[in-house]
This record gives sequence, C-alpha cells and structure tokens, in this order.
Amino acid sequence: MQVKLYATLRALAGVTTIDLPLGDGATVRQLAECLAEHCPALADQIFEPSGELSRRVHFMVDGRNSRWLPQGAETPLRKLQTLDIFPPAAGG
Amino acid sequence: MKIREFGQSIAHVDLSTGETSIRPAPQEWVRKYVGGRGLGVRYLFEAGPEVEAFSPENPLIFMNGPLTGTEMSMSGRWACVTKSPLTGTVTDSHQGGWTAARLRWAGLDGVVFTGRAQSPQYAFIENGNIALRDASEIWGHGVHKTVAFFQERYGAQDLSVCAIGPSGETRGRFAAWVNEDDRAFGRGGTGAIGGDKHLKAIVIRATRARSEDVDPEQWRLVRREMLDHIRDEKNITSPKKGGLSVYGTNVLMNVTNSIGALGTRNSQGTHFGERAEKISGEFVEENILVHDPTCHACPVACKKEVEIKEGPHAGLRMESIEYEPAWSLGANCDNDDVHSIAKLIDQCNDLGMDPIELGNVFSMYMEASERGWLEGLPALKWGDRQTMVALTEAIGRREEPLGDLLAEGTLRGAQHLGHPEIAMVVKGQAVPAYDPRGLKGMGLGYATSNRGACHLRAYVAAAELGVVAIEADPLAWSGKGELVKTFQDLHACGDSMDLCKFSSFAQGADEYAAQLTTAYSQSWSGEDVMTAGERIYNLERHYNNLAGFGPGSDTLPRRFLEEPSTEAGSKGHVSELPEMLTEYYAARGWKNGVVPPAKLAALEIP
Repeated sequence: MQVKLYATLRALAGVTTIDLPLGDGATVRQLAECLAEHCPALADQIFEPSGELSRRVHFMVDGRNSRWLPQGAETPLRKLQTLDIFPPAAGG
Repeated sequence: MKIREFGQSIAHVDLSTGETSIRPAPQEWVRKYVGGRGLGVRYLFEAGPEVEAFSPENPLIFMNGPLTGTEMSMSGRWACVTKSPLTGTVTDSHQGGWTAARLRWAGLDGVVFTGRAQSPQYAFIENGNIALRDASEIWGHGVHKTVAFFQERYGAQDLSVCAIGPSGETRGRFAAWVNEDDRAFGRGGTGAIGGDKHLKAIVIRATRARSEDVDPEQWRLVRREMLDHIRDEKNITSPKKGGLSVYGTNVLMNVTNSIGALGTRNSQGTHFGERAEKISGEFVEENILVHDPTCHACPVACKKEVEIKEGPHAGLRMESIEYEPAWSLGANCDNDDVHSIAKLIDQCNDLGMDPIELGNVFSMYMEASERGWLEGLPALKWGDRQTMVALTEAIGRREEPLGDLLAEGTLRGAQHLGHPEIAMVVKGQAVPAYDPRGLKGMGLGYATSNRGACHLRAYVAAAELGVVAIEADPLAWSGKGELVKTFQDLHACGDSMDLCKFSSFAQGADEYAAQLTTAYSQSWSGEDVMTAGERIYNLERHYNNLAGFGPGSDTLPRRFLEEPSTEAGSKGHVSELPEMLTEYYAARGWKNGVVPPAKLAALEIP
C-alpha cells in the first residue's frame, strides 16, 4: 500500500512516497502504526503520548480526511485508493 | 524616540490644495473601531457611501493599528481603506514589511488623503511631519525603479517606500500599492485610487523607536506570552518547524489539491493532479528557495525569496511565491511552470497589480478563447505562459486594445465579451484559491465578504483544514453560518489592531484582548474583541447597503452552485450557499444581507 507524505512530514521522513506492507482491509490506524514503524522519525508526529492518533496529522483517503469518514481511524483501506498524509497547513 | 499611545497623530492631506494638518482621531472612534481597518472604515464612512470611487472626495486612508511598530509579535502591518474602483464597496487591504512600523516610528498613526493633485506628488514623512513633493521625475516607472529612485535620493538606511506602478497611474481597476518592492495592499484596486489622485508614493524616513509602555512589566509579560503562542511547536507558525514557516503559504497547494478545492481552468475543475506538486511550496523549497525574509517583529518568516537559475527567466530573484498567486496564475490557468509564475508575480509587484485578479482575468479570457467568444480579439490558450507574461505588461500599462480591456478586471472583461457568467467574481472581485465546492465555509465567506470575494475576511479554512481548535468538516454546510460570523468578527478586530492574519493560527480573542489591554490603560476582554469586530463588520456592511448593495447581493458564481466537482475529495459536491446564508443571516441578525436599524443601534453605529 503506497502513501504519499507532504511538507514537514516529507522532510522528516526523507522520502515523498513510501510502500507499506499492508493489504486491502487494513485500517487507517494500522496504516499509521505501520508508518511509524517504518519511519520512526514520524512516530512523535503521528501519535499523541497517549497512543491516540494525533489530531494534527491528516490522513486523507481519496481526498477525505479520515476524521470525517463514518468509521474514522477504523476506516478500511484499499490499495488503489489515494492515500495522502499531511501535517497541519494553512496560509493565505 | 518613543512610541506614544495610538491615535494621537493622524495626518490629513488635501491633495487638491496641498494643505496638511495633523490631529488626533476622535477618542470615541478609537475606542469603538480600534485602529487599522476599523478606524479607516470609520473615516471612510464619514465621507459618505455615495461618493464615486474615482473622485477627489473618495478618501484614501492609510492606517496603523495600536500595536503597529511595537515589539509585539506580528504587529508590523497597516491598512489601506477606500471605496473600491473594482467593486464599488468599501475595501481594506493590508501589507507587512517594515513601512507600517516606520510610519509609527516617524510619529504618525495614519494618513488620510483627499482631493486630487494637479501633477504627480509623493508624500514624505519624517519626524512627525508630512510634506508633498513633486514626483514627476518618477511617474511612469515601475515600483522597483521607484524604490531605487528614493533610496538613491534619501539613502536606503531607515527608509521605506510604498508606491504605485504604471497600473495604478493608469487607473487599472485592480492596481495595488506595493512597499519595499514586493509586499502589497493587493486587493480592491487601492493603487488605482492613488493614480486617480496623482499620488505616486509614500516615503518614510525614521529610525527604530520603542514603546512608551503604560505598564512596562505587564507589557513584557504579555509580549513574551504572545511570542510563546507563536513559537509553540504545535502551531504552524512555529519558526523553522511549522509548515507556514518552512514552506510559506504555498504549503497549501498539495492540501487543497488533495481535497478537491484547487480550482483549475477558471474553476471548471477542482483538482490539478500530479501537476500541483510542480507549483507547490515543497517544490519551491527544494529547488529555488534562497532566503526567508521576514516582516517587522515576526519570527515566522513566511516570505520565501527565490532565484531562477535557468530558462527564459534566469537571473530573476524575487519574493514571494505565495499560495494565492501560485494558484491564480498556475493551476487556475493550467500553468504548471513555477518559473513563469515567479516572473508573473514579480511583474505584478513592479507594475503594481493584484495577482489574484490578474490570474482570474487570464483564466476568464482563456475560457472565452476556448469557447470561441473573443470576436476578433487575440486568442489565449490554456497555460500559454509566454503570452501571459507579454499580456501582463500590456495590462499593467493599459496598452490598446487588449491590455486596456483586461485592466478593467475579470467581471468587466467578461461583460465586454458578452459572457459575465464566466467571471468567477463576487461583487465584482475575483475569487481566491479555495474552491467553494471543496471548502464550504470558505464559499460562504466569499459570498458575505464586505469587499467582494475574499479568503481573508473569514479564514474558515483554519477550521476546515484542522489547524485551530475549532474543527469543521470542509464538505458539511451545517454550522458554517455561525462559524463564518465568528471568523469575520475576530479578523475584523485583528485587522484593526493591525496584526498579521496568521497570528490567528496561534492566538484567539483572549490573546488579542491581552494585547489591547497592555497597549492601553483600559481593560479588554475576549468578548470586547468580538464585539468590536462585529461592530466593524456591521459598519462595513451598512456602508455597502447605503452604496447600493441591497438584498440578494451575497452570492457566488453560478458555476460553484450548479456544476458539481468531478474530482478528488469534493467529487459530486456543489456549494449549498442558500442554506448557509439562512444560517448566517440568523447569526448576524441581518435581513437578506441588510443591517436593520435595531442592529445598528445595538452596536452604536451611526
């Protein structure tokens, strides 16, 4: 399963895209855990000290923040979906 | 020199007679309208909403806020307020850099220009005085040459120059004032009012001054606390760590592309595919970034200076590839060449033009060209950057026939072609870079902005993109009415203080209140901040109502309401504007966009 990283997350990971050993049906949360394993530099960004997914990192599934999807972090993923991960971003 | 309490020294300049005077702002006005945008609008209101934009009676107002020039973080800004020649509404625009601070250090809090000079003039400000001087020698030249001209005349040290370029001189309806080569009062055509008045520049010479604090210890504590908010690593303002600081505003390009809120081809599409990467903040940072300049008292340094080392624009060094022009002149025009975008932005800075409006002018014209609606005028293909560069020069100088037509702006250009429906405008001003189908609250903010389509009257994207504590689903319309009102009121006060809009990513009403309390001898609460903002927003709306913007004026281009997005996160969505407007008017206490007398009375608006 391929994910694309942006902005400061890209800089911390040192890569733009990363292939994670996950199959169809893996959830957003499992993707986050797998990502943290493969890129330890991102672990502090992705998870709160409590172990919860950080609200400051946006896991986008086909352009929708998983936070707003009915199953949230438990949303099952498919390999062909576009998976983008952003840190908070705004400007004007 | 010490900075005195705000509002004591407003210069009034009658360009027709050459008379100048300096007097305090009415105390009641400062108490109720704060400074910057609010105080400027109050002065504008006094001149009458019926005044024609291009007339000697239309005041051109430059106004600092109570914190401008102090050591408080992100306070180096001022407002330009006038009746817009583009929209016919009130307009206010803001710029950073060092000019605003230098005005305060020179002993003035604002300047109100009226009248029309018979020959080109510039205002020279120093040691608490203002004088008009002949600008004939520099009339007709671009901003870059104008800045260099005054630096040579007065010395570059301790000098700030805010000028119009050829676009303002020729009354291009989206002309801008630009200071220090590249920071603009971008929107609303304020530069054209300068040109109409034959006012070429404001030149200020002053050394740094420090605040004469009401309570020095309290001032020090508040200042440190405010700085801590901005430095907090959780915030995008965090120096060298937050996305805004590292990549500048263009950190947004890939985000809005992902969610389907990045307009393409004159907002016919909402997603630029893989091409968004090529014009993104990440690409700029990796390939052409050379420097991170900043404004007075700002640790964020969101401005990104770049240098082009190859291709037709090799040798160009400029600031700054912001998200807005990277969209308007990029994705919106089907242009994925960041070098040409840098060139076009630099042309706008030199000619003195708003790049958001220019990009929409181009995209409107490109769509008309594609549809065969040009009736003998030259064609312009999507993404034809070479012609865009040439045409920008023609628009900035109103060269016949096409430059002259397009200098009138997106709406008037489309009307001339017989197809106003392809002008992506609200109240005559072109839309910014957040497609209302993918960010519903931003669409409502565009429709209800008092200066025409604008992303900065209500930066609801901060909630819809999850960078502030209040979070909101970008595709949900419910709840956006109250949310937009809240942002509008907070920003109206922030713009009047006059703090950088980006302070609101790290601070809220309570933090603004703490800063106002320590700047004055009177106590402010967060509620006071929101009330002042509401009063300012209602005064602006009342001005517009009296200027002819009655019921039904708050709308969006039909494209956003009727043509669903077909791509990315917003696929299938349109803007549910009518539903959001109902919520919004209920929250505001307005009747279909009009402020009722009871509301005016409650807010003590004349």
